[in-house]
Amino acid sequence: MASLAKYVRLALGAWTLLLFVSAAMPTAAQQVNPTASSVKEQQLLQELNRIQGRVSIPDQRSGVLEQPAGREWREFRNVTLRWVGGIAILGMLIALVAFYLIHGMVRIQSGRSGRTIVRFSAFERFVHWMTATCFIVLAISGLNITFGRPLLLPLIGHEAFSEWSQWAKYAHNYLSFPFTIGVVLISLMWLRGNIPNRADVEWIKRGGGIVGHDHPPASRFNAGQKAIYWIVVIGGAAVAITGYALMFPFYLSGIEGMQIAQIVHSIVAVLFVAVMLAHIYIGTIGMQGAFEAMGSGTVDVNWAKEHHSLWLAEEEARAANAGRSNPTATAAE
Amino acid sequence: MARMKFLCDADRCIECNACVTACKNEHEVPWGINRRRVVTINDGKPGERSISMACMHCTDAPCAAVCPVNCFYTTLDGVVLHSKDLCIGCGYCFYACPFGAPQYPKVGNFGSRGKMDKCTFCAGGPEADGSKEEYEKYGANRLAEGKLPLCAEMCSTKSLLAGDGEIIAQIYRERVMKRGYGSGAWGWKTAYRETIES
Amino acid sequence: MLIRRTQQRSDSASRGSIATGLSGQNGGVDRRTFLRRSGLAGGALAALGTLPLGGVRKAEAAAAGPLTAGATPRKSICTHCSVGCTVTAEVLNGVWIGQEPSWDSPINRGSHCAKGASVRELVHSERRLRYPMKFVNGQWTRVSWETAINEIGDKLLEIREKSGPDSVYWLGSAKMTNEGAYLFRKLGAFWGTNNTDHQARICHSTTVTGVANTWGYGAMTNSYNDIRNAKTQMIMGGNPAEAHPVSLQHLLEGKELQKANFIVIDPRLTRTAAHATDYVRMRPGTDIPVLYGIMWHILQNGWEDKEFIRQRVYGFDDLRKEVDKWNPEEVERVSGVPGEQLKRVAKMFATEKPSTLIWAMGQTQKTVGTANVRASCILLLMTGNVGGPGMGANIFRGHDNVQGATDVGLDIVTLPFYYGLAEGAWKHWSRVWEVDYEFLKSRFDSKQIMEAPGIPLTRWFEAVTLPKDQVAQKDNVRAVFVQGHASNSITRIPESLNGLKALDLLVIADPHPTTWASLAVEAGRKDGLYILPVATQFECKGSRVASNRSLQWGEQIVKPIFESKDDLEIIYLMANKFGFADKMFKNIKVENNLPEAEDTLREMNRGSWSTGYCGQSPERLKAHMKNQAKFDMLTMRAPKSDPEVGGDYYGLPWPCWGSPEVRHPGTPLLYNTNLAVMDGGGTFRPRFGIEREEKLPDGTTRKVSLLADGSYSKDSDIKDGYPEFTLASLKKLGWDKDLTEAEMAAINKINPATPDAVSWSLDLSGGIQRVALMHGCVPYGNGKARMNAFGLPDPIPVHREPIYTPRVDLVAKYPTLPDAKQFRVPNIGFSVQKAAIEKGIARQFPLVLSSGRLVEYEGGGEETRTNPWLAELQQDMFIEINPADAADRGIKDGGWVWVTGAENNSRARMKALVTERVGKGVAWMPFHFGGWLGGKDLRGNYPKGTDPIVLGESANTITTYGYDPATNMQETKVTLCQIAAA
Repeated sequence: MASLAKYVRLALGAWTLLLFVSAAMPTAAQQVNPTASSVKEQQLLQELNRIQGRVSIPDQRSGVLEQPAGREWREFRNVTLRWVGGIAILGMLIALVAFYLIHGMVRIQSGRSGRTIVRFSAFERFVHWMTATCFIVLAISGLNITFGRPLLLPLIGHEAFSEWSQWAKYAHNYLSFPFTIGVVLISLMWLRGNIPNRADVEWIKRGGGIVGHDHPPASRFNAGQKAIYWIVVIGGAAVAITGYALMFPFYLSGIEGMQIAQIVHSIVAVLFVAVMLAHIYIGTIGMQGAFEAMGSGTVDVNWAKEHHSLWLAEEEARAANAGRSNPTATAAE
Repeated sequence: MARMKFLCDADRCIECNACVTACKNEHEVPWGINRRRVVTINDGKPGERSISMACMHCTDAPCAAVCPVNCFYTTLDGVVLHSKDLCIGCGYCFYACPFGAPQYPKVGNFGSRGKMDKCTFCAGGPEADGSKEEYEKYGANRLAEGKLPLCAEMCSTKSLLAGDGEIIAQIYRERVMKRGYGSGAWGWKTAYRETIES
Repeated sequence: MLIRRTQQRSDSASRGSIATGLSGQNGGVDRRTFLRRSGLAGGALAALGTLPLGGVRKAEAAAAGPLTAGATPRKSICTHCSVGCTVTAEVLNGVWIGQEPSWDSPINRGSHCAKGASVRELVHSERRLRYPMKFVNGQWTRVSWETAINEIGDKLLEIREKSGPDSVYWLGSAKMTNEGAYLFRKLGAFWGTNNTDHQARICHSTTVTGVANTWGYGAMTNSYNDIRNAKTQMIMGGNPAEAHPVSLQHLLEGKELQKANFIVIDPRLTRTAAHATDYVRMRPGTDIPVLYGIMWHILQNGWEDKEFIRQRVYGFDDLRKEVDKWNPEEVERVSGVPGEQLKRVAKMFATEKPSTLIWAMGQTQKTVGTANVRASCILLLMTGNVGGPGMGANIFRGHDNVQGATDVGLDIVTLPFYYGLAEGAWKHWSRVWEVDYEFLKSRFDSKQIMEAPGIPLTRWFEAVTLPKDQVAQKDNVRAVFVQGHASNSITRIPESLNGLKALDLLVIADPHPTTWASLAVEAGRKDGLYILPVATQFECKGSRVASNRSLQWGEQIVKPIFESKDDLEIIYLMANKFGFADKMFKNIKVENNLPEAEDTLREMNRGSWSTGYCGQSPERLKAHMKNQAKFDMLTMRAPKSDPEVGGDYYGLPWPCWGSPEVRHPGTPLLYNTNLAVMDGGGTFRPRFGIEREEKLPDGTTRKVSLLADGSYSKDSDIKDGYPEFTLASLKKLGWDKDLTEAEMAAINKINPATPDAVSWSLDLSGGIQRVALMHGCVPYGNGKARMNAFGLPDPIPVHREPIYTPRVDLVAKYPTLPDAKQFRVPNIGFSVQKAAIEKGIARQFPLVLSSGRLVEYEGGGEETRTNPWLAELQQDMFIEINPADAADRGIKDGGWVWVTGAENNSRARMKALVTERVGKGVAWMPFHFGGWLGGKDLRGNYPKGTDPIVLGESANTITTYGYDPATNMQETKVTLCQIAAA
């Protein structure tokens, strides 16, 4: 039925066009009648959903006279995005809380060994935290654009909200640069450890050991962390590119391109935020001994044994090859 | 209660740009900001038509709907205005606007769009009517003086109509009836969800 | 139509109501509610919310008021075209703070175009000239007015001493008021030269000559408003949508209300053509074949107005012979327009009457300009479309006062008001000016040169650079004093540089430095160059004449700003320096060196009988401006009951016969026999004798009357044609008894020897005119219009190919006229055309190049390109090229191109505008740009801070040789070029 309706509409459209063309054709031979052959708004909108013409000012974008597509974008921004973002972020928060309540913190089963091993260098940690800080500010300032008006504005009033939003916008724009650099560095420095391999299959099959007290073997990064890596790299690239398209209007595309950019930017961003909530959870209260990896840069050997057995073995083998029995013979405390 | 609207009769518009410079003159609009512009469709072909376009002061205005800081308001005359004190220059209204009305002064470095500027239907802004502050931010407030937007008042061929929607629709309808042709009330369907049948 | 302000007020009362605002009807938010919600309102305002509503309204009224409160409205006339739009300025403390629509003007009814809506900026422009400047060793240096006038005056006197008065060229302006233009011409006369010209030369000189030679006066016969009455409007050679935008209000409303045919014949699908009901594309330069093509169909089908022709037209049979040659095949071969299309047009024009023919530069700026407009007039005569509402030759003039400046004789061929240059004319003006004729004669090199037309401005640089023996005056032109004229409007710019270099002195008096300055510097001048800052017309008062011959008085809106001076003051200062100010301003009050405009107009009134400028006293004109609202928009007449302007036509369109006391209402439509003369009626003017001896084929001759046959204006006491009135003819009719004693005495004083010879145009008492009017007669007589204008180079219009034509195959059959000496200089068009063909120019430069106006700019454009509100809208010089031609050359829309011209290895760099506006093989450029030359930006040549915002190549860098033989109008519409991607 739907296809029939579509066909009828197409046929009607063709007829209208034909009628229009015949009206524009000279009635008597040689007559050119610009009054009668005038363009019609309705017809142009039916054909293209966009009306464009010539303007003499250099700003050629102003040649777009009308583009009702803004309507769909508005629907997305005010309805779809709020639902998607709300479900993703609130859903993730609820899931995390539930998980925590059920499981509590994942402990180091064998207890701390007192021996530590270097997991992330100072540079790696710097890059991580730079990106992370930027991300948090970007996330909050970004969420403010979508959710601030219904949630925050009624609380603090127009003036304060605008003041805050203004600063948030500046922060969002300026911090995008260190964030982008961070994403680029992350993608380069951790690329080697994040190539998926066979161990990941096993890890995933065993559900990452989240349920029960299983510890599937993993290299430096387990499949879950690899997923985070790729989300950061791909998602980061996506928000960066679309973000810059919005920050420098008309360099990359016209208004319809910017609408698409905004859609991609915002959807990726809210999902990104949701994922990062999980990442933060697991790196902090979700798992004992995990935060140290990015905190001091060293982790307890027992933690490493449980979560990254293959990596620990590799590190130890390398140390042994170097002729040293204990590469990181530093007291834990 | 008057519901103010614009209507450009494309069968009268000759792209003389009086509306554009009248606007510049009345509000001292700076270089690069075009509150109003004239677009020519099918330029150079026998069906060519020019249309003067600015903010149409839409019913249920998309700009107002998407503004993250809710800086727009609709006056009792149906004129869509905004507060530059509240605007953060994010550009969202520009994505939503079907008519390319919002304009941004380029200020400072990258990313710093200034406060949005657009046609006010010569109705100023939130400040006191006819005050200096209002003039500096938004331009003249002719409506408060009982005058209509200067672009339409000065239109060379009386193509651009401004005023109560019903009255200008009636004028247009009569014109089309009398002369027997009309390319449509450009933008009305999009802005006001209605067209003028003749 | 807008809702007028009066209507608007009634519903604005309810709009502001705070009560409804608070009740939140319609979901609207009033300003205060919004403020409160937004938390922006201060404590005081927020507290108001608790007061009773009445209190709120009162507080609001007290707090807010429009910024324009207390401003004085002042009216002047827009300076940008000939429509004559009233500009209403709001002035507060001497500053022009705003512009309001001029609803009361019957001409523009509140409207403006881009230029008119932005005139306020002209006055306040940061980039205007501020003080006089002198070019010293390649540097612009500030000087005082006193120094400037003294140095310039001394140098001019020195040149005069050595080379005679004709070696100084006085180039005036159509932007001056009538009074300014008149005094500028008078200055030329007192200086002793006829080398005084202005923009009319390059705009409608061919119209003035061609049309005046047809039926008496060379002006628009009807008015913009009257076009509303036409059933068929035909626009040929004009683009009023861009050149006269406000006129389109009348044209388009007329088209709609009358369901009129709107025919546009043009090589370009212009913004005007976009509204046509019939558009005809023709090859540029083939107006005469197209017009004859139309006439061929009319005669073939018997659509001509036989009775009109019999009564009021001379030379129809001669014309028919020429038309017969232009059968549809030949017309199509030459012009490219198919016969069927012209048959449609012919039928509409001849049978769906009244029909009007509208033209502008498209017909006039041609080597055949005079013949073009003659052919247009002939079409009107053939169809009986002259002398009634909705008919006529609606000739759209260019500048705001180009009609006036033409009338007041700022010209090389005549003294004020078309009196010519013969001894009688000089004697007439010496009587008006109350100076001795012998004194005036003594100012000239000779009586012969005093009565010889001067050098056309199109040829000024040749008058400087040609060998002395080729310039028919004592010496070459050595100094140019230009007050208000662009140099980039004149063709052949590369050659003009030689003239700019060779001059001893160049004085530029203008609000802006203009391209005279930037090109003079580029030409290599190091000194002998002065710039004088002139006030814009909004800083001066005086009368201006719109295209429809209406005079409008403009008030001074603000005082001249910076050190700029009124045109009249500069003229006075020069006259004073030359030592004849007391004689020249004998009857004009001068205060602080500024001659009074009103007194100047009164002097004009006293001498302008020939054109009927005698009735428009300053008092009457001011009354018209004051009572604008009383004039009907369609008839332009005020109700007879009005005490101040009762029965008058708006602006007292000339001829407004007799002295102001006669209260002639003006003539809104020329040659309209359906009205009595005292109601604005008239007849064709018998200006070329009362009979003519014609040779018949058998060798015998016969005398044919040139007076009207059985046609006369309503209520005329003479029911047939009659010659102009003189004392002798009054005596013959027995009407001399109607003259008063004082009038008779005045007549006797004018010509004591033979008072009978004193005519209606020489009688300073106005008595002869008064008596003629009393008897319902037109003072100038009642004659026939001429299809055969014997005396002109082509008495019957003849098609002649442009000098540079792409159709070399047609030149043998339709060559341009032979070389000749005209206006003191040679016109070698024939040789140039011949050489172009021999050199194969059309193969090297295959595209026809035409030029025209943009709505945003005017003339040479320096003033408008300086206005940011306008400049923003057109930031680059461009050339229009057809997509097919662009594709052949790899040219993209918006890309840079080099345009090369057929002479002087000229080239210019600009952007391409690829568009179907132009047909294949045709390119088009706007002519307003300047400040670039051959790809070089000349911004550095302007005095610091005075350069226009937008600069660009001038179209006239590429234009070529070609001058109309009757007026030396330049050819700007048809030449050849080549375009290549840059």
